[in-house]
Amino acid sequence: MRADPTLATGQRAMPTVQRAMLAGATFLLVMVTTSALGTLIEGSGWWWLCAFIAACLVSVGLGLRALRTPPALVPLLQVGALILLLTLVFGGRSSFALIVPTGETFARFAELFAGAERTIQQQSVPAISVPPLLFALAVGVGAIVIVADALVQDARRPALAAIPVLVPIFIPGFLIEDGAEVIVLLFAGAAFLLLLRLDVRVRRRADLAHRDDDEDAPVVHAPRRVPIGSTIGATLGVGVAGLVAAAVLTASTPSISQSLLLGSDQSTTLFSRGVSPFIDLGRDLRRPDAVPAFTYTARDGDRPYFTLLTLDRFEGEVWGVTDRAVDSENTVDRMPRPIGLDPAVETAEHPVEVTVGDLRTVWLPVPYPTASVEDLRGSWFWDRESLTVRSVDASTAGQRYVANRLVATPTADQLRDADLLGSGQFQEYRALPDERPQIIRDTALAIAGGAQTPYDAAVAIQDHLRSSDFSYSVDAPVEEGYDGGGFDVIANFLEVKSGYCVHFASTMAVLAREVGIPSRISIGYTAGSPTDERVENVTVVEVDSHDLHAWPELFFPGVGWVPFEPTPGRGTVPSYTRPDAAQSPLSPFGPSTSTPQTGRPDLDPERGLSAGPGASAPDPVAAWTRVAALVIAALAIALAPALIRIGQRWSRRRRVRHGPGRAQAAWDEVRATARDLSAGGLETETPRAFAAHIAERPAFDGDAGAFLAELRNAVERERYGPPAPSGAAAGGEAGLSTDEILRAMHEVRAALGADAGASARLRARFLPASLIGRARGRARPTPAGA
Amino acid sequence: MSEVVAAAPADAGSPVMSIDEVGARAARIVQNVETVISGKREAVTSALTVLLAEGHLLIEDVPGVGKTMLAKALARSVDCTVSRIQFTPDLLPSDVTGVSVFDQASRRFEFKPGPVFANLVIGDEINRASPKTQSALLECMEEKQVTADGETYRLDHPFTVVATQNPVEMEGTYPLPEAQRDRFMARVSMGYPGPADELSMLSMRETSSPLETLEAVVTLQELRDMIAAVHHVFTSQPVKEYAVELARATRGDRQLRLGASPRATLQLVRAAKAHAAMHGRDFVLPDDVDALAVPVLGHRLVPTSRALGAHDRDSGPLVDAIVRRIVAETAVPVGSARRE
Repeated sequence: MRADPTLATGQRAMPTVQRAMLAGATFLLVMVTTSALGTLIEGSGWWWLCAFIAACLVSVGLGLRALRTPPALVPLLQVGALILLLTLVFGGRSSFALIVPTGETFARFAELFAGAERTIQQQSVPAISVPPLLFALAVGVGAIVIVADALVQDARRPALAAIPVLVPIFIPGFLIEDGAEVIVLLFAGAAFLLLLRLDVRVRRRADLAHRDDDEDAPVVHAPRRVPIGSTIGATLGVGVAGLVAAAVLTASTPSISQSLLLGSDQSTTLFSRGVSPFIDLGRDLRRPDAVPAFTYTARDGDRPYFTLLTLDRFEGEVWGVTDRAVDSENTVDRMPRPIGLDPAVETAEHPVEVTVGDLRTVWLPVPYPTASVEDLRGSWFWDRESLTVRSVDASTAGQRYVANRLVATPTADQLRDADLLGSGQFQEYRALPDERPQIIRDTALAIAGGAQTPYDAAVAIQDHLRSSDFSYSVDAPVEEGYDGGGFDVIANFLEVKSGYCVHFASTMAVLAREVGIPSRISIGYTAGSPTDERVENVTVVEVDSHDLHAWPELFFPGVGWVPFEPTPGRGTVPSYTRPDAAQSPLSPFGPSTSTPQTGRPDLDPERGLSAGPGASAPDPVAAWTRVAALVIAALAIALAPALIRIGQRWSRRRRVRHGPGRAQAAWDEVRATARDLSAGGLETETPRAFAAHIAERPAFDGDAGAFLAELRNAVERERYGPPAPSGAAAGGEAGLSTDEILRAMHEVRAALGADAGASARLRARFLPASLIGRARGRARPTPAGA
Repeated sequence: MSEVVAAAPADAGSPVMSIDEVGARAARIVQNVETVISGKREAVTSALTVLLAEGHLLIEDVPGVGKTMLAKALARSVDCTVSRIQFTPDLLPSDVTGVSVFDQASRRFEFKPGPVFANLVIGDEINRASPKTQSALLECMEEKQVTADGETYRLDHPFTVVATQNPVEMEGTYPLPEAQRDRFMARVSMGYPGPADELSMLSMRETSSPLETLEAVVTLQELRDMIAAVHHVFTSQPVKEYAVELARATRGDRQLRLGASPRATLQLVRAAKAHAAMHGRDFVLPDDVDALAVPVLGHRLVPTSRALGAHDRDSGPLVDAIVRRIVAETAVPVGSARRE
């Protein structure tokens, strides 16, 4: 009676022009919502790629429907088209005739997909649109378009199309505090309304077209009254579904690594926010067994320190990294001269070939400064301040690369002559919180009070920390409870005079700032220990987890950042920091002469086992738990409608047994079943009209028709009949006993089910339409009982 | 339509006639009338509904489609007094109600009852009469009595007027004002017969009018009992609310200038009771209300000129469509479950 005419008369009744209008609106909606990701991704190229994919898929859908392809096949063929498009864009040379994928192409897709997972974990906002990310975006937008297209064109539920397209809108909200931009939200709302509006127009046209029985009759098209209650309900439902989907997507990308430096888990991240890198470093140093990190060969006999990351921000409690967005221009094939290094200073490039083993981190171990890095896999970018190198979509594991180390050779006199106090630059590297322990000021004054130049002060500080008063211990700070790099820790350390590189480095950096020298702390590896192995006559040097180190770097104008080594027994003391070698060329960590190759402290394997062995292996249990949790969450979401519907049926059966409103409960269930099976059951239909409507079905020719009439009479009498005389038997008012009602309900539902196709039954079970208030009539409050 | 009716509770003050009998007799009347007018089940049912609900019926259509035939057939099927007034422009009110005549013998005025003193009054082409005469009849319809020379004469029970009228655009007519149309419980249109019905009509009427052979199937007393039984049909609160909701919807509809009056609501429920009884049911369903919404409400509503638009001056089909739309949009009331 009031069935959707566009559905009732078959999909193909809709003219292609109207389909094209709907398809255009769908495309517009998807592309507007996709642009919400603009706050997360740099540039606009990615959007055009997504638009290309979406436009192609929408056109394919349109073409297939114009060719009268069965509706169930269209999404499948669209998926096929998506694969061809992906091959065209990402397949490279692996494809056959540009668009036909080969086995190699799929291997490449898998690689891109893995890269996409990494890049989502590793990149910060705004992300650089590296190929794996583009691939993920293309796949995601393709999936959204296919789902939305099917909902709009075949299911004719354009309102539900909001669920897939809401996902890109919600994702920024989960990743950054601001969420999607308001303007995007406004446009997305407008696009959604446009889609709904077009759908209404299409429906009305169909209404008109199918009014052929009495053509002369006037047609009244009053504004349809949309039930406010169900509209709000549907809107909320759509919103919640979108939120859940986005939350699941966001939650499936883990973000806190277990160890930043060793990368003991696959799930490494850019910055483990809230976790001090120092603590990680100490923990790795206390490992009883060293875990190999990487090996390198240096043709020029260099033994450099390898910097992973640089801590430049000190807030009193913790040293941190200033969060700078990755600049996509900063590719590692050409890196700039380090800041502060006078152009006149003579430099030379020394290649260092590095082979990384299991070390899994987004920070690339490179000597500071480096002129370029070659042969890396993945996308790697340098930071303009620290020249550290990090990846957005790959990790260091298994990398072989050549770092061209830049060796500067200024004389140490330049350090002494550096006009530091006169220059106002690098204020942020001199910043110290005002409230600092007195002992720090006192120590700084005592050590460097008499220094002529900043350089002398720096050397004095280093000498003080390297003096015999201080001892190296990786365990003492933990036992004494002052591990870390904050003011309190430094104050404690200056009292106890025992600690490891973290404490020496942070103390020297703070003392340097105290006397006005810009300072920062680099974290990385010392030069490692040579092995017996030789490659092309060059000694292979091995670096492992016990070579992890932190050292201060001080800034001198004209020379740049200069490393110091205040930790006793670790690393190599730069020659220029020894007064007797003040005239020697600046070669910080050149071939060591007097100090041991590695200052690795002796470690008692029995002590300080804070980290278990083999922690670098990926934890399969965690991964499985995550997958299982995801699967369970997805299943729960997928099955929720079915479960709610089962609960509803159960409660109605209960009402049939115990009243009140036995027949009504049974009738509600029958009507909901009909609605699930798209067999009518609108709010505005009277029981009689509804029964007449479904009785036309072939399945109701026999007994089922009689049961239907019985149940209808019962519900009519219960609803509208005169009150039962007192003393009537239970159920007497409905005219049927409880068992009879249940039987009738069962038979009618069975007949409805028998009449529907298998796919309709499946949909009724898992996506019951009766849960969504699609009734056109008003949902009136139940009137008071008679 | 098969009806499965549970045993109606026996009420203490129950009418003489059971509801099943009412249904059976109504079916007989309908069947009888249909021997004369075939293919017009809806109009016949509506007419009988109005008769049982003690209302008045307006049959509106173009000339020659059987308006008068329907009224006459209905009157003949019920063994009751019937009179027929052919309205003309020169008809006087007294020609309808009756006139006081001076009796020479008794030397006093004597009231000669007019044609309105009958159970079933057929007012043919009511819109041809002058407004003055029209209102005289309409007054009788409402008051069910005639007042002449200070004397009040009650009309017989039941009293039903079946008026026919031609659509307003026809020449030489005085269209009934809205206020007077409101007095009629329902308006039906006959519509042209289908080809098959028209063909059978031709052969049936070749020699004589079938109307003359039509026999009464219900006595006057039986008709009164049926009417009494209709009074006892139960109307539940949700159905009453539904009727009120429909009337309210017509008042608020933006395509209508004039909505349904409270009298319309009252008559809608009364008619629905008769409709339920005719179907052998002792309670009213929303379906009864739905079925009667167009005939009962249609002639009382006035569309806005904007809605009328292309529909020229005949608002009937448009209003019917609006009523159907309102019925479709108004949710069916669901009675709250009663305690056991």
